[in-house]
Amino acid sequence: MSCHGIVSISHFDIAIIKRMSTEPNQTSLHTHSQRLMNCSEEELSLELLEVGVGPEIFAEIVRRYQRPIYYHCRNLLVSHDDADDAVQNAFIKIWQNASQFKGESLLRTWIYRIATNESINLIRKRKPTIDFDEAQPEMAEMITEDLYLSGDEIALKLQKAMCFLPFKQKLVFTLRYFEDLSYTDIALLTSTSEGALKASYHHAVKKLEIYLNVLR
Amino acid sequence: MDLENEKIGPAFKAPDSYFKESESRLMQRLGIDITQLTGAAVSEAKVVVPVAQPVSVPLDTTGVQKRARKQDPITSKSVGINKQLDEVGNVEIAPLTFTTNENPEWVNFGAIPEVESALETPLDQQIKKVSYGDLLNQPPVENPVAESPVAEIPVGEMPVAPSEIAAPIENESTHELNEKASELISSSPVVEPVVAPLVEPVVASTDVPVVADSVVIHAVPESVGLDELESYITVNQPAPTPTKVDVAPEVVSQESAATKLVEEKPISLEAPATAFAPIAGRQKDTATPGWLGVAAALAAIVAAYFIWTAIQPPKLDQEEVVLQQDEATVPETPLDEPAQTDTIPDGLQLVEPLIMEAMPKYKEPNVYTIIDAADMPEKTKRALQDLEDHGLATFDMEDELFEELDLESL
Repeated sequence: MSCHGIVSISHFDIAIIKRMSTEPNQTSLHTHSQRLMNCSEEELSLELLEVGVGPEIFAEIVRRYQRPIYYHCRNLLVSHDDADDAVQNAFIKIWQNASQFKGESLLRTWIYRIATNESINLIRKRKPTIDFDEAQPEMAEMITEDLYLSGDEIALKLQKAMCFLPFKQKLVFTLRYFEDLSYTDIALLTSTSEGALKASYHHAVKKLEIYLNVLR
Repeated sequence: MDLENEKIGPAFKAPDSYFKESESRLMQRLGIDITQLTGAAVSEAKVVVPVAQPVSVPLDTTGVQKRARKQDPITSKSVGINKQLDEVGNVEIAPLTFTTNENPEWVNFGAIPEVESALETPLDQQIKKVSYGDLLNQPPVENPVAESPVAEIPVGEMPVAPSEIAAPIENESTHELNEKASELISSSPVVEPVVAPLVEPVVASTDVPVVADSVVIHAVPESVGLDELESYITVNQPAPTPTKVDVAPEVVSQESAATKLVEEKPISLEAPATAFAPIAGRQKDTATPGWLGVAAALAAIVAAYFIWTAIQPPKLDQEEVVLQQDEATVPETPLDEPAQTDTIPDGLQLVEPLIMEAMPKYKEPNVYTIIDAADMPEKTKRALQDLEDHGLATFDMEDELFEELDLESL
């Protein structure tokens, strides 16, 4: 890809080069599904762009991203049932709108964005008058009564403290702290500048530290 | 806590079974068959199928329950299954059904329709009362029992020997029967009388129809006296034969047809008898007059009213409440002074009198009023001053010694 005479190589270009160099051997050794299992995220994105979504590619996407998407939605929604609904809806939208993936971001970022939107839609459906600039401390009471808890007390306290954060700060903190997404990806995901994200994350961390000290 | 340097893990941890179930649910919703995906791109590729291997170690079956057990539905106790006993046979008992909620004493069996009976004659007319003496006497065939309505039963349905025909109880007095029976019994005490089975008498149908009055005896309760007994006996009299009148045969035939219709469908203003309606005449009027119930109801209402008023909390007069509210709004103490509150905790209030008794009692100071202090000598004034200084007495001296300060002069 060239832009004003400057040659920039994206991760997709690297994936194409890798694929061209390894494709003859791999196709002879593995089946399509096995190759999908072993391919990188960039190669999977390229496969999705070239071939389109099929049962095998979709199954591979589900296999790779089901767990992180579930935990991401669970961190945002707290409730297991809500997180399950959000994950199901997100993957159905991925299946239906896979053709809209343009490869401008990582596949993971695109999937996280869809899951985040589904979580927000679910929150709005449960509480239409919600203000995302305010915290929802009532969610903290649901944590210990819900399913599938790790049993780590400090983690539970952190999760309770996160309920006292505004939704935007909670989202940034979750993506950065738990999912290890870069500020660039989070900026793409949330359509926010990196500077604003860093400030939000900093505020979130400071608030959480205070909450954790209080909860102790 | 430093979150940046101290990494805390996630608070949630879902099992793999949930993710597999969620994945299969998702694929099912989208109509994707996971089993068709070769190479198992889905997570089922990671499923490890256990390989059956021969077990060389003998199983330790000590303490293992060897017999199957079942729970007794009645005693809720767990008992062992005995197959030999259980396989003897299963007896199915038909469910017991009751179709009435009435007291059986008041069921009018006579009103039960005869639909269930295959016989043409009603069931109550087929019942014949046969005494013990009749069976012993063996009445002849030409006994008037042939006149009973039972004689209409066809022979083919119930073939019975003519010797088994019993005489009706209406034809002989009970006294004579008992006498004959006692004579027979006394004459042959050794021989036990063989009682013939109770079979309804059947007589060959005759060409001439015999019409006789049949008496229907209803069940009579014990409380009924002899004078009322007649009301329980109904005599079925035959329809009167129409007298021959010189009328045209057509008219007679029309009249007979009309009377037949009327006889067949008698008009009755009463409600049709139902199977569970009380038998007429058995209900007795209650001895309690009706006004007594009304009076009892009124008394109950009045008692309930008094109880209700006694239960209610005392009502405050509205004026008093308003007055108290007005008083509460007016502050008794000036705003600049702190409001006096009872700072003693509730627990200490209980022991307050004990504490107050233990403490040295406060003694009111001795206050003496001295009116003409100005006229007192100096020695007396000094002595009084000494008393005040030592707290022994307080003197209220109305003189110029305690004049108010002139603030304006300062």
